[in-house]
Amino acid sequence: MTARQQATTWGRRLAALTWKELLQLTRDLPLLLFLLYSFSLSVLVSGAGITMQLTNAELLVHDADHSPSSRELIHRFQPPYFAFVGAIRDPREGLRHLDAGRAMLLLEIPPRFHEALMSGERTAVQLLVDTTNAPQGLSAAAYTVRIASLFGAERGLAAAGLSGAKASLPMVTSAHRVWFNPTQDERWFQSIAHVLRMTTIFAVLLPAAALVREKERGTVEQLLVSPLSPFQIMFAKVLAMSGVILLALSLALYGVLHPVFHVPMKGSTGLFFLLTALHVFTTAGFGLVAATLAKNQAQVGMMTLFVVGPMLLLSGITSPYESMPTWVQAVMTFSPLRYYIDITYGVMLKGAGLNVLWKSVGAMLLLGGTLFGFGMWRFRRQFQ
Amino acid sequence: MTSLTVSSPDLVVRVSGLVKRYKQHLAVDGLDFTVHRGEIYGLIGPDGAGKSSVMKALAGVLQYEGGSAEVFGTVVDSERAAEQVKPRIGFLPQGLGLNLYPELSVEENIDFFAKLRLVPEAELRERKGRLLAITRLDHFRGRLMKQLSGGMKQKLGLICTLIHEPELAILDEPTTGVDPVSRRDFWAILAEWQSVNGMTAIVSTAYMDEAARFHRLSFLSHGRVLASGTPAEVTALVPGLVVTFESTPQLEAVARLKRRYAQVESLGPSVHLFTLERDAGAAEAEIREVLGDLPLEHLHTNEPELEDVVVALLLKEQDGQAGVSGRSSQAAHSATISQFDGLAVQARELVRDFNSFRAVDRVSFDVQQGEIFGLLGANGAGKTTVIKMLTGIVPPTGGEGRVAGEDMRTAGGAIKERIGYMSQAFSLYLDLTVLENIRLFAGIYGLARRQSQQRMEWIVAMAGLSEYVHERTGRLPMGVRQRLALGCALVHSPRVLFLDEPTSGVDPIGRRRFWELLSRLAREEGVAILITTHYLSEAEHCDRLALMYAGRIVAEGTPADLKIKVEQEVGQLLEIAVERPGAALAQMVAAGFSGAALFGTKIHVLSRNPSRDEARLREVLARVGFSVGAVRLRMLSLEDVFVSRVMALERAAQKEGQV
Repeated sequence: MTARQQATTWGRRLAALTWKELLQLTRDLPLLLFLLYSFSLSVLVSGAGITMQLTNAELLVHDADHSPSSRELIHRFQPPYFAFVGAIRDPREGLRHLDAGRAMLLLEIPPRFHEALMSGERTAVQLLVDTTNAPQGLSAAAYTVRIASLFGAERGLAAAGLSGAKASLPMVTSAHRVWFNPTQDERWFQSIAHVLRMTTIFAVLLPAAALVREKERGTVEQLLVSPLSPFQIMFAKVLAMSGVILLALSLALYGVLHPVFHVPMKGSTGLFFLLTALHVFTTAGFGLVAATLAKNQAQVGMMTLFVVGPMLLLSGITSPYESMPTWVQAVMTFSPLRYYIDITYGVMLKGAGLNVLWKSVGAMLLLGGTLFGFGMWRFRRQFQ
Repeated sequence: MTSLTVSSPDLVVRVSGLVKRYKQHLAVDGLDFTVHRGEIYGLIGPDGAGKSSVMKALAGVLQYEGGSAEVFGTVVDSERAAEQVKPRIGFLPQGLGLNLYPELSVEENIDFFAKLRLVPEAELRERKGRLLAITRLDHFRGRLMKQLSGGMKQKLGLICTLIHEPELAILDEPTTGVDPVSRRDFWAILAEWQSVNGMTAIVSTAYMDEAARFHRLSFLSHGRVLASGTPAEVTALVPGLVVTFESTPQLEAVARLKRRYAQVESLGPSVHLFTLERDAGAAEAEIREVLGDLPLEHLHTNEPELEDVVVALLLKEQDGQAGVSGRSSQAAHSATISQFDGLAVQARELVRDFNSFRAVDRVSFDVQQGEIFGLLGANGAGKTTVIKMLTGIVPPTGGEGRVAGEDMRTAGGAIKERIGYMSQAFSLYLDLTVLENIRLFAGIYGLARRQSQQRMEWIVAMAGLSEYVHERTGRLPMGVRQRLALGCALVHSPRVLFLDEPTSGVDPIGRRRFWELLSRLAREEGVAILITTHYLSEAEHCDRLALMYAGRIVAEGTPADLKIKVEQEVGQLLEIAVERPGAALAQMVAAGFSGAALFGTKIHVLSRNPSRDEARLREVLARVGFSVGAVRLRMLSLEDVFVSRVMALERAAQKEGQV
């Protein structure tokens, strides 16, 4: 056989296997529906629903002063950040509400608050915060500090007889410009993050399940006695599943992210899809290794959960990568998702190209190649 | 009505009009039968005939839609009714050792089931000893269940089912996949429990050759009873003769005969057919007439076996659906004799170890092009591992082999291009259609579009798949799936075909049709076929056989050679019809007929000198008042061959152990 004939045969084999994977997927209606949901409705829901910003923090007030000043201060706690849930007379009652989870914040304004301010004395308000949900509690506290100090500063300046443009005391204000997300729309981050999550989950699960199913049913033996290399068997799966995932991704992109959340695509769309394919290939490596270790679909499901769980939590979409302990960061060097996050936000929001992202791309290539190679080695070994 | 049934103390089970539906699929379709006290009742039928559903309904673990399943006069239709009968029954579900605990030892398993059933300590000890002795498991009391062989697991399963001395044992395919020796042990326990304790048993099986073990039986097909009665009654349903002879060219002979007879098979070099003619001379004359100018040699006639009758009944049920006959004639002419020279498979001293366990131990054999070679043995004997080594799935630990002219250690790729393989599970993609499956394998073997179109047409015609091409494979009956799997294995016109237990779960007609395909492949296309099976009756189709036991080949030759050799060693088989066979058997054993065994209502014994032994046993039995009926000489079956070989090996191993 000439080299050319060999190449055609090789291609025919790969095409036959890839086509088979796609056919099988179309026959699995529940899985298809789940895939469709994950990249459409579920993106919509999480983009609209998940927010890390302080919203609707239930505020309870014990106003012992009932003065114009106290009322003005209370008035500064505004929706959507705060939700005023009521005033109480007895501070102990407030604590009970806090304990029962009916309120998150209890603001106490002491008697003589107005009087003290008017007479130029120092005075303080007390804020009790339920920080069971730490990020929310902490930002509520921070907001309160800002509100109180601004209020205090204004009153102080007013008392000194200075107000408005006449104020010429030395002060530092921060004037920030928001880049990459000018409207500060948090839905951008959340909806993209959700698409990344889904891409990763399916990239691990689909090829892994497809391979284990063949093991369970015994069809893999049929493939092994035919003139196919392990590479062809595994690569066909990844090829088919990557295609499907890219298709689903464009659904999310052009069906939800663009039209609903107006997420821009600043960089090259082609580059984004190419790098997504690379991410799917790399991540699929984990799935394939798991599939060579597992005996059945239940086992491979648990194993992939074991890999995907930490990957989703620690790669930087659930919490900032930079704020994690160094050892976690070190472990996460092996998470392709960690690089894919940089790539996605880079290409979509910052318009970055390969000249910026080459390090992440290189790391993914290396990781993907290693995993795929290891998977192939395991695949050959498991039957011997 | 019910009061009537209760009043009959002899009636243990009465099934009437039973209907069980799984969604749209009707599994049991108005089934009726009764079982009397002390009977061993058989439910025979292929997979999906409804056997398991009936048994589960009787054991009170399956709800049913219509009719009634009555056990000991109680209609088992609610959990409370089931609780009432459960103490009196023992149920062994289908599957090797599925009711056992793999991490417990043999003895712990037995003790657990005994405690569950509140068996008193003293009785437990006595019964356990007795059961372990009959099953020859007493040396393995401490061994964990998961380390037992398939046959041993199944025997242990039976012990655990019988430990509380149930009045009724419901055993669902207890012998499927079990080696012939363990199967004999299995039947020995049942026979003993039945004759000594008066136990009743309902046993299902897919092996037709076990039918003779039953007192009465029902043959099920598609949830209905096709035939029922004593084995003799069922056999008498379709009177006729089985004629075996040789004629050349065999394919041409078979083709001509097929136009006249519904059941024609080629068994190795001979032709086997079933005729409705009762007279041997007339049957021979008729066959000569059909054969015309073809020679006819070595003709002998036999009474039909149950399988012949059942196939005749099934054919009648299908009513001409079996479009087998038409096609075989066309290709018959292309057969020119012995153009297929050369060795297809050569195995030399193949060894395979899994850790410390030697699965295959110095196995050597040859398979010629155009030959059907059978590798027989129980589950775990090493058959599958041999095939896996030859097909390159598993590398051998030692030894060498050549497949399709190439060294299997160095030319794996070239070999894979030239072999076809069909595994136990018919590895097809069940979610793809018939055509998609064939196309996939055509693609895998790198066939070009035109070529693959041609092969596809050939496969569809060869395997008779034209009405199914666009059906999903998962919805097809087992017999059709099996032919599709064979077709997929043949897509690239391989020279050597490996078939690993290709007939499990297929009904008798499907099996016959499959074998017909195989013999045409071998005779017409010169394909070498290496096949493994644990249906020993099927092995008669092979040109040559090798029996495997514990990783070794213990006998090799043509089926006829093997039988003759064993006959010379251990004697011929006598079948004795006698009243009260259980008690008669005990008398015979006492009188020195040590190998005697109960087969339903008959006794089988091996004899080196049939005429002398017949006279002696007639005398022995007459002296104690038994009236002996007919004593017939029977051909040894391959199962007899297997059992006698293995027993000899076990005895040798024990002697060695004692020295």
